Amino acid sequence: MSPQNTHWDALIIGTGIGGGTIGRALAEAGMKVLFVEKGRAGFRAEQSAIDADQQDPFARAMHGLWPDKVHARINGHDQQIFAPLGSTVGGSSAFYAATLERPEPHDLSDAEGRPHPAGGWAKSYAQMEPWFEQAERMYRVHGEADPLSPVTQPILPPLPAPGKADAVIMAALRRGGLHPYQLHAALKNPPGCGNCLGRKCPNPACKMDGRSAGVEPALATGNATLIDRCEVTALLGEAGHITGVAAIRDGEALTLTADRVILSAGALSSPRLLLRSASAHWPDGCANASGLVGRNLMFHFNEMFAVFPGRGAQLAPGEADSKSVGLRDYYFADGQRLGMVQAMGIEASYGSILHYLRQRLDQNMLGRNRLVQEAARLPAGLAVKILGSATVFVGLLEDMPYAENRVIYDPATPGQIKLTYAFAPELLARRKVFRKLISRGFGGLRTVFLGHSPEPNLGHPCGTLRYGTDPATSVLDANCKAHGLDNLWVADASFMPSSMGVNPSLTIAANALHVAQSITKGG
Amino acid sequence: MSQSLIPELIIVTGAGGGLGRALALELVQKGSRVAGLGRRSDALAETAALAGDGFLPVQCDIADPAQVATAFSQARAWGGPVRRLINNAALYPRRDFLDETGDSFMQTVAVNLGGLASCSSEALKDMVAAGQGRIMNVATFADIAPLPGSAAYSVSKGAARIFTRALVADLQDRFDNIVINDWMPGMLKTQMGIADGLDPATSAHWGAELALMDDPTLNGTTWEMDCEIPPHASLKRRIAEKLRLVAKRPARKLG
Repeated sequence: MSPQNTHWDALIIGTGIGGGTIGRALAEAGMKVLFVEKGRAGFRAEQSAIDADQQDPFARAMHGLWPDKVHARINGHDQQIFAPLGSTVGGSSAFYAATLERPEPHDLSDAEGRPHPAGGWAKSYAQMEPWFEQAERMYRVHGEADPLSPVTQPILPPLPAPGKADAVIMAALRRGGLHPYQLHAALKNPPGCGNCLGRKCPNPACKMDGRSAGVEPALATGNATLIDRCEVTALLGEAGHITGVAAIRDGEALTLTADRVILSAGALSSPRLLLRSASAHWPDGCANASGLVGRNLMFHFNEMFAVFPGRGAQLAPGEADSKSVGLRDYYFADGQRLGMVQAMGIEASYGSILHYLRQRLDQNMLGRNRLVQEAARLPAGLAVKILGSATVFVGLLEDMPYAENRVIYDPATPGQIKLTYAFAPELLARRKVFRKLISRGFGGLRTVFLGHSPEPNLGHPCGTLRYGTDPATSVLDANCKAHGLDNLWVADASFMPSSMGVNPSLTIAANALHVAQSITKGG
Repeated sequence: MSQSLIPELIIVTGAGGGLGRALALELVQKGSRVAGLGRRSDALAETAALAGDGFLPVQCDIADPAQVATAFSQARAWGGPVRRLINNAALYPRRDFLDETGDSFMQTVAVNLGGLASCSSEALKDMVAAGQGRIMNVATFADIAPLPGSAAYSVSKGAARIFTRALVADLQDRFDNIVINDWMPGMLKTQMGIADGLDPATSAHWGAELALMDDPTLNGTTWEMDCEIPPHASLKRRIAEKLRLVAKRPARKLG
């Protein structure tokens, strides 16, 4: 029974957190599901890491990374960047840090004093709440309730053994009046846990991602089939209806047919595929009557900083790898949408502080002098001596939707991710507020920012196929079915009308479960 | 270069495309007769159409020694004894070793190393008889730090570099005028190369010039694009150079 000779109930393009989650839900509901994945499935015991230094496209594909550079025009400057994107079963989630945080109510809905940048989502926080709960169960999320939350928090099992660094950092932050809590993570942390943040987890029962919580359980039902190394090149169909997809596998063209098609190739690739599918029926691209396909591209802006736990709470080198501390004290502050702050599981050791100082020195002529470079050892050494080892935190700054920021389809390079993006003045202003709050506050602890220019996190794209109730201003309806088509749904981060102040994964999974129900139960 | 009235015969392997085609065109333009070996007759026909009368397309899979023998007979019948050989043909399958079998691995080795040995063996029959000849092997640094997914290529091309040194060891004391060396063409914009690489015609210009040089001091040297990579000097030699007892050997450059 080859995938081409079967007519599927549902064909799912992409196996990341969206595709994996919806595929599992549909397979468990008894549908015959085909997962189509562009990347290689690889081997279950692989522990490949996201590696920005690996330049060779074949080697990247071998390791499950997106093989090619993203061509990005940022503020008018063309850049080619290896983005932290997966291309394997599980997609980018195979490499993620498994942080599954809930958004705040104002992320989805207009709230008093907190007007929503897109006028609110098609589904309110209250409507999404049961789906967040279900996704948290499915991904076996651990962690503590956020003490600042305005809504009832999920009761999650705690992580079995918080590390020393976490305890020290949390105590220090609390002393300074902040409200840290144990991050919500889809990690089981069993004995011998390799702490697979940034790399593939070899244990199918530990890190829950699009593969371990989605595709694998789906395959276990007996209702689902997976083909990897298969790139979908176009959606096929006529006005109002999709009949199947054209794909290429090992250089051979094939056609796959299904009653329903679910697009979950990620917010950078799903819109590209729709634009690439332009035909006599859809001259401007599939599902693009609104002209919004690919537009309103958003990222998060990563503000990374080192935090020294301070007097009496020094961490020795090798101890400062706190990974499960989060806080929302700056989530909405000074009347601004900012975002949450999280420990990154990285220690800013002597070496990394030295590296950072040298990078800064590199930016001026004098600093490039070798003696000055060597002299940087002294402050780096002193910092560690006096302040102990630092833990690296990141603030996720929310981005706002602008139609000009978008994914571009270039027929000359149809498989390439191409985008154009400009920093909005209000983004730069909010960023200033965010950084000021962190450097002046942070519980009175000493902090050092590890970068000055705004850095869009290309691993958190969203918004490029926004959902809504009006077909003139949205691509998808409130159930993420494409306006004007009766059997095409989207289940990745493309649907989001705004980028929220938290990691997107839990919301992608929750929405995918909601979309699955609208398909199986009809609404 | 050759003093005889009949243009000398040069064999170029892998002449159906990329660098091999560019080398064949350059050499024909310089007045040589080139017999181009390749697996695909349609690709060779394209080279022939571009090259004109000075080019003989010879279809041949160099992994098979019998086909190589037949191909060289055809070439000799057309152009006389083989004066020069450019071992250019190679396979570069990007393949995870976990997807490789013993057979698939050895198919690559059979071309990249076996083909090199078969063609050199055939060419040397004529060169030894004449007491002069020139073999240039198109080489790579792939063996130094193999890229992921390039095991068969890196191993066979690494072995090919040893082959050059071994051939020099066998022949140089007996045949001063059979000159053998390695040439790295640079990163090329070919099917085997990279998208923003060199135009193969630019590189072929250097390669053809080097292949037409008969200076015995080229024996055993390694060249990258248009520059010689000086051999690692022994400690004794370096001391002697420092003390000005011997002149420092400058790295040579083409053109």
